[in-house]
Amino acid sequence: MKTPYELLAVEPEATDAAIKQAYLEKVKDNPPDRDQERFQLIHNAYLSIKDHKSRLSHTLFSVPTADFDELLDQALHVTQAPQVRPEHFKQLLRAGLDETNRLDAKLHAGKS
Amino acid sequence: MKDIIIGIDLGTTNSEVAVVEQGKVRVIAGDGKTILPSFVGIDDHGNILVGETAKNQYLVYPERTVKSIKRLMGQDIQVPLAGQPYAPQEISAIILKRLKAIAEKHLGQPVGKAVITVPAYFSDAQRQATREAGEIAGLEVVRMINEPTAAALAYGASQSEAKRMLVYDLGGGTFDVSVVNIQSGVVEVLSSHGDNHLGGDDFDQKIIEHLLKHLQKTSHVDARDHSKAMARIARAAENAKILLSDQPYAQIEEEYLLEHEGSPVHLSVELSRMEYEAMIEDYINSTLDAVHIALKGAKLTASDIDEVILVGGSTRTPCVRERLFSEFGFEPHGEVDPDLCVAMGAAIQAAMISGEQVDTVLVDVTPYTYGTSAIGTLNGEFYPFMFVPVIHKNSVLPNRKTEAFMTNYDGQEFVEVAIYQGEYPDALNNTLIGEFRVEGLQNVAAGNVITLTLALDLNGILHVSAQEKATGLEKSIVIKNALSRFESTTLDTAKQRITSLFGQLEHNPDELGEPAPFEEPAAPEIEAARSVMAKAESLFERVSETDKEDMVDLIGTITACIKAKDIEGLKEPVDQLNDIIYYLES
Repeated sequence: MKTPYELLAVEPEATDAAIKQAYLEKVKDNPPDRDQERFQLIHNAYLSIKDHKSRLSHTLFSVPTADFDELLDQALHVTQAPQVRPEHFKQLLRAGLDETNRLDAKLHAGKS
Repeated sequence: MKDIIIGIDLGTTNSEVAVVEQGKVRVIAGDGKTILPSFVGIDDHGNILVGETAKNQYLVYPERTVKSIKRLMGQDIQVPLAGQPYAPQEISAIILKRLKAIAEKHLGQPVGKAVITVPAYFSDAQRQATREAGEIAGLEVVRMINEPTAAALAYGASQSEAKRMLVYDLGGGTFDVSVVNIQSGVVEVLSSHGDNHLGGDDFDQKIIEHLLKHLQKTSHVDARDHSKAMARIARAAENAKILLSDQPYAQIEEEYLLEHEGSPVHLSVELSRMEYEAMIEDYINSTLDAVHIALKGAKLTASDIDEVILVGGSTRTPCVRERLFSEFGFEPHGEVDPDLCVAMGAAIQAAMISGEQVDTVLVDVTPYTYGTSAIGTLNGEFYPFMFVPVIHKNSVLPNRKTEAFMTNYDGQEFVEVAIYQGEYPDALNNTLIGEFRVEGLQNVAAGNVITLTLALDLNGILHVSAQEKATGLEKSIVIKNALSRFESTTLDTAKQRITSLFGQLEHNPDELGEPAPFEEPAAPEIEAARSVMAKAESLFERVSETDKEDMVDLIGTITACIKAKDIEGLKEPVDQLNDIIYYLES
């Protein structure tokens, strides 16, 4: 399965504006009226990486191979803490070090 | 032959039909007019009247005429029309049938599919009723789109730069506000809010109440029991409202309104714009509240909005423009015709669905939160009907969300699933839109997992399914019009009933081949004139000689005008004849 970045054809470092632009271009080619499922896929990809806050939680909490049942099992029977893979951990560190981004994320969280 | 999908704006007071031809949107005129008043009536001979003729007849025969049917859509009631009860869907179907005929005549080919617009804030039941009206009229409703969104689409099609707009749509019976982002050829609705029962009709009602009070005070008479007088008061109120859009004062004169204790009652009163604006102030305030809710939903403030688009005839009220100006600091836009842009947007969407290359793509949201009720807490206390939102307000359409729930006690054999629409944490304060039961669950301890999936389609119609996770046992429903269940057999009956009403006016689509294949119907003014003349003649026996002479003279003038097809010349003698009839009947 493709990651949201692959789906929207953007780099992980892309800005909010660039991601939005990429999303709109995808929507233009895949209007909801033509193929609803494809549109939903694109829209969900956009939602998961549209701003710093969502990108952070996407990086931390999305398990690339998870399907719904697995997620549900995890949610209902928390026997072990979710595994954090080394590259995720690194990203988490980087996110924590980037003060401006963190402020940004807090600001967004405060607004909503 | 290529399948053409038409775009229809089915309004409370007016309706229009539009189509995209060679890449251009065109609102189609029937009998020379693009606007079809949403009035339905039955004439002296039992023939059906739609539009202008029905609107004119409303004054003479309010009991055989129906107006503003859209306000009743989705309710389980019947309206009387010439002694027969009709469902709101059926009356709307009659209007749709006329619009369909107008389009077919223009296109020279049968039309079977349509995109119909509905107020963004229309509920599930109201949407279902609209779809049923289409079916009764012989139109497959391929998509329902929200009116403010349609307007934004019509407007956005010509925009090249990125913009954030607020669409303020105040129609005859409904109010919607949407915040829209237009960028890179995508019209993206960010949030929507509104009121299903707020519009120009309410403004009229305020004036009507004012006039009734005035009559009570000056003539000590209650006009409410006189349906003809009420019809005239209603028309006078509407005319005064329209006049007050351009003038500071409106003079209301209705002579021989009715008879009271042997003497005629006249209505003569002056209404100032200031008085009128004070009457409707509460309504305007609540539209501004809705504007703020919509902005909040889009996480924006007034200063983020680049343009304000006005839709709907009631936005002509000057104080609406003034209030929006003071809110946003710039003049709202008016260059898109507020009466026509909704139908144009519907036509653009119709073209897109039929596969034509369209420059603008639409992404819309739901204005409602949908969810279920479960055992939980409310204000920190145990509560059995806690609302659990599943699809949130302002989520993009289509949308599909799943939530997991658990059984409450050991050996629980079934679960009741209730689906609500609304924003309150107490489910019982929200609108129940459907419920069902999943039976035959496994005999296991409490905690048996049931997943509930809600899917909102592009039409804003909800599909619900619940599944016992362990066994895959599933139950699903589409939320049908919860209030007035129109079963498919009833739909067929309604279809036949409406078709037979149209009588010979109805044409056989198979015979359609050449453009303008059926007989040219008379202009609405001519039909109206004929009905007034028939009415006058029926009174001949009991009128004085002088009155009869006047009437005969007028009938002569009218007949001459009809022969010469002089529509303009018709107005005066018809009005005069109408006045005599009122006088004689009151």
